[in-house]
Amino acid sequence: MVLLSVRDLTVRFPTARGVVEAVNGVTFDLSQGQTLGIVGESGSGKSVTAKTLMNLLPRSAEVTGEVVFAGEDVRALAAAGRKHFWGVKMTMVFQDPMTSLNPVKRCGEQIAETLRYHLGLDRKRALGEATDLLEQVGVPDPSKRVTQYPHELSGGLRQRVVIAMALACEPELLIADEPTTAVDVTVQKHLLDLLDSLRRDRAMSMILITHNLGVAHGRCDEVAVMYGGRIMERAPAEALFADSRHPYTEALMRSIPRIDQPSHTRLDPIPGRPPELIDPPVRCVYSPRCCYARPDCLIDIPPMGGVQGAHTFACLHPANTPRGRAALAANVAAGASPTGLAVSADSLAGNLLGDDAAEVGADTGNGDHEGNAVAANEDLVQGG
Amino acid sequence: MKPGADISFSVASSDDLSATRNDDPQTALTFTEPDQGEDVADTVSRKLGTAFWVTIAWMTLVALAAVLAPWLPLEDPGKIGVGGTREGPSGSSWFGTDALGRDVFSRTVWGARISLFVGLLAIVMGMMIGGTLGIISGYFRGVIDQVISFVFFVFLSFPALVLALLITATINRSLITVSMTLGILAIAPVGRLARASTLQFAEREFVQAAKVLGARHDRIIIRELLPNVVIPMGALTLLGMGIAIVAEGGLAFLGLSVEGEAISWGKSVVDGSQARDLKNNPNVALFPIAVMFVTVLSLNFAGDRLREYFDVRETAF
Amino acid sequence: MAEYLARRFVQLVLVLLAVTFMAFSAMNVLGDPLVNIVGPLAELDCEAVARGDVEATTSTLDNSRTDCEIVAEARAQYRLDEPFAKRYVLWLGDTLSGDLGTSFKNNLPVYDVLRTKFPVSLKLMIYAEVIALGVAIPLGIWGAYRAHRRTDRALAVTSFALLSVPNFALGVILLYLFALRWQWLPASYDDSSLLQEVKSLFLPALSLGLGLAATYQRLLRTDLVTTLQEDFVHMARAKGLPDRHIMLRHALRPSLFSVVTVFGVQTGALIGGSLVVENIFTIPGVGRELVTAVIRDDFPVVLGGVIVIAVAFVLINFLVDVFYTWLDPRVRAR
Repeated sequence: MVLLSVRDLTVRFPTARGVVEAVNGVTFDLSQGQTLGIVGESGSGKSVTAKTLMNLLPRSAEVTGEVVFAGEDVRALAAAGRKHFWGVKMTMVFQDPMTSLNPVKRCGEQIAETLRYHLGLDRKRALGEATDLLEQVGVPDPSKRVTQYPHELSGGLRQRVVIAMALACEPELLIADEPTTAVDVTVQKHLLDLLDSLRRDRAMSMILITHNLGVAHGRCDEVAVMYGGRIMERAPAEALFADSRHPYTEALMRSIPRIDQPSHTRLDPIPGRPPELIDPPVRCVYSPRCCYARPDCLIDIPPMGGVQGAHTFACLHPANTPRGRAALAANVAAGASPTGLAVSADSLAGNLLGDDAAEVGADTGNGDHEGNAVAANEDLVQGG
Repeated sequence: MKPGADISFSVASSDDLSATRNDDPQTALTFTEPDQGEDVADTVSRKLGTAFWVTIAWMTLVALAAVLAPWLPLEDPGKIGVGGTREGPSGSSWFGTDALGRDVFSRTVWGARISLFVGLLAIVMGMMIGGTLGIISGYFRGVIDQVISFVFFVFLSFPALVLALLITATINRSLITVSMTLGILAIAPVGRLARASTLQFAEREFVQAAKVLGARHDRIIIRELLPNVVIPMGALTLLGMGIAIVAEGGLAFLGLSVEGEAISWGKSVVDGSQARDLKNNPNVALFPIAVMFVTVLSLNFAGDRLREYFDVRETAF
Repeated sequence: MAEYLARRFVQLVLVLLAVTFMAFSAMNVLGDPLVNIVGPLAELDCEAVARGDVEATTSTLDNSRTDCEIVAEARAQYRLDEPFAKRYVLWLGDTLSGDLGTSFKNNLPVYDVLRTKFPVSLKLMIYAEVIALGVAIPLGIWGAYRAHRRTDRALAVTSFALLSVPNFALGVILLYLFALRWQWLPASYDDSSLLQEVKSLFLPALSLGLGLAATYQRLLRTDLVTTLQEDFVHMARAKGLPDRHIMLRHALRPSLFSVVTVFGVQTGALIGGSLVVENIFTIPGVGRELVTAVIRDDFPVVLGGVIVIAVAFVLINFLVDVFYTWLDPRVRAR
């Protein structure tokens, strides 16, 4: 059963320099008990999407599109419907546990106030519930923690408190916005596993927002990759990791270290800079950084292709397809993509091209890929 | 705390400097979206604006009137019985006359002479002494800094008007001594600002470079630090003047402003503030109050705009 | 925390010492202290009187003594023949033991004079702060809640204008309008009943309080706007709590730091302002006593008044520090 359905969501912010198109035509469905991963670098619009769902955008934001939660149009909720919607049916966990707890309120109070407001519990019962919740999220010595202030807890414990707070009213959907980015690497996995098991126990749906594909791997049923305010590729997790189509997804995968690769394997940074979101030109938003880009990418915004409902992507020359390989080969032969991005066989570290293209690239110079990335940057600066 | 909030130089909190250059583009209970590069910088206007020039025009008018008072076609401000006593405003005496029949408009213009002079001298003195001490304190650090900072702290820790009362109560209150008293009170707040700016600049490359190159201290202070510290201080001159003018008024109410026949705005207001005078001819007190208010408002507004314009973050007042 | 408060306390005691020293030296160095104490009598050549060259004159204030006896007594009481440093230390000792000397004008102990005046001044200042905070906190919250909208802009303009009105000017205007012209409220202090006292102190308290209110309103609004962008406020919204709850229970307390700091700082301005306002509304407080004493060159009363003010100021600032520790649990941990 589909719990959340987002259709053509668009968010714009008017600023002094122009209108920022933060989110553009985002569409996805999330079924009950499922986890959707939204992956992208900063500025990709993933956090704005989450805040739109949570009704946390500034007044100045212009939102269009449809958000339907369990059959209800969230954006058109009447006052009575809104009162116990956020925090009860849909809630969110923020990135930084250091700042998402009120420094001058005791942890227990902060959990209890949600229960008191939404469920009408009295103070004593709410605090009792808070203690139970802390226990459920694996906080040791919970009856002591409820009386402590946030600054008295470690980062990992605080994020557990935040999670307990979010889960207090047993929400049907939890949005976790980079829930582990700000905590110690050593506790990241614990927290992610905790979220995962809590979700399973409660048959809760979750949107896991991260810039790290590794975090999404193995924890999501479906993954949407966002770039420049748009969804670039959306697919069931296994399909995406096994057989990515969009060049950006591919580039993301190549930029993360992998345990199964030999150590000292070079990581490929994505050349260029994040896209300009103010008055973007009408073309594929990733094309300036894409080594597959061909002239037809610069004419219009590519439509969502692929198999609807299964694996979709917005690319005219998808990676791991003959069309993509041909595009890449052509760019390698030209030494640059039509946007001026330097493309050489060397910089592509071999297997992207497949065997045929590798031959073409074999004799095209020996510049290392860092140099090319810098060159690409300079090109962009000059071009922009 | 804004200038004019009280009638004394009192301590500033640096928390409050944000009070004027606060305004973030985001609104209540909403998210900022740093990802999207919200344009904070553009909201602080790099223009001074029309209102700024209006206040400058007013201040110019008042200053000209004050300077040219002896040559303007005004009644003698001390002359008794000009056209009758306790008259309301009229064509011949714009602000009316007081209980002794003196012309209130003329007294207000002449009052501007004293009030502006007191304000100017006080802030200039504060700037010279406070600025010097502040720069020395911030540049040399160490024991000198601790001693000077403690002196600043003491001065800032005490009701300024009470200090002014202490000094003016024990001296002959001439124009110069009253101005200097207020100047003494300006030393600590100005000095604290100068010290803060100096600390900030002393760490910068150009000062460090001069030190490494073996430049003498006096040369570094005068050539490298002074020009940079003077700008933020200059932006605060107008605010400081406003405070000094108000402080003179406060002293006048304590009977501790300039002695004798000299007329200041403060003294004019006091003249008309006895219950009987105020009831029967409020013009005597209210006109000088109005002129004083507009002038102080102008000083505060222009000073505030300048501070924003020069991006002075630390405030002294 | 104890260490922090102890350090602050020592600092304030040092300030108090410095201030008493300044007050004492102002009275002793700027001008002849003898003149400050006995006025024109200081001109008498008492040595000549003692030698019998000049005839002794009987005091106009006190027939039983000669002028020169009064001068001698003043010299003895203020130890004018001792070196300055010793004089200060001895005077400080007296002051600490509660002996503020005796007024030379009316022979009353300064301590008793000030003890009757102090409560009135204190009432006035508390009243002013109650008005200031009572106005500023709701309007600060309102301004922040409606930040950058019309209400907020109107409040900002009003605050800015209010800050340019000196409190004596405000006092004169309020006195004229409400006490003299419309006669809604008394023009001078009246403590015949509690109601009368509350009514008669309203205008003076308002004169002092409005400027403070403007200061607090701006600070609180600014800090609230900043706090409202904190993650924990977004978290509170994500928890579905109503705006009212978020403003009052989450954002207000962490936004009060500047107001509390400035509350302490502004106490100095408030004291200065009350000197003036007490004179406008003829309120028999420390300020009015001080001004009368200055005019009469009543050195012991001036010095005593200054000491009382200094102690009050220092104590209030210490209390502000204590209040901080309540406001922010993080300070407690320090």
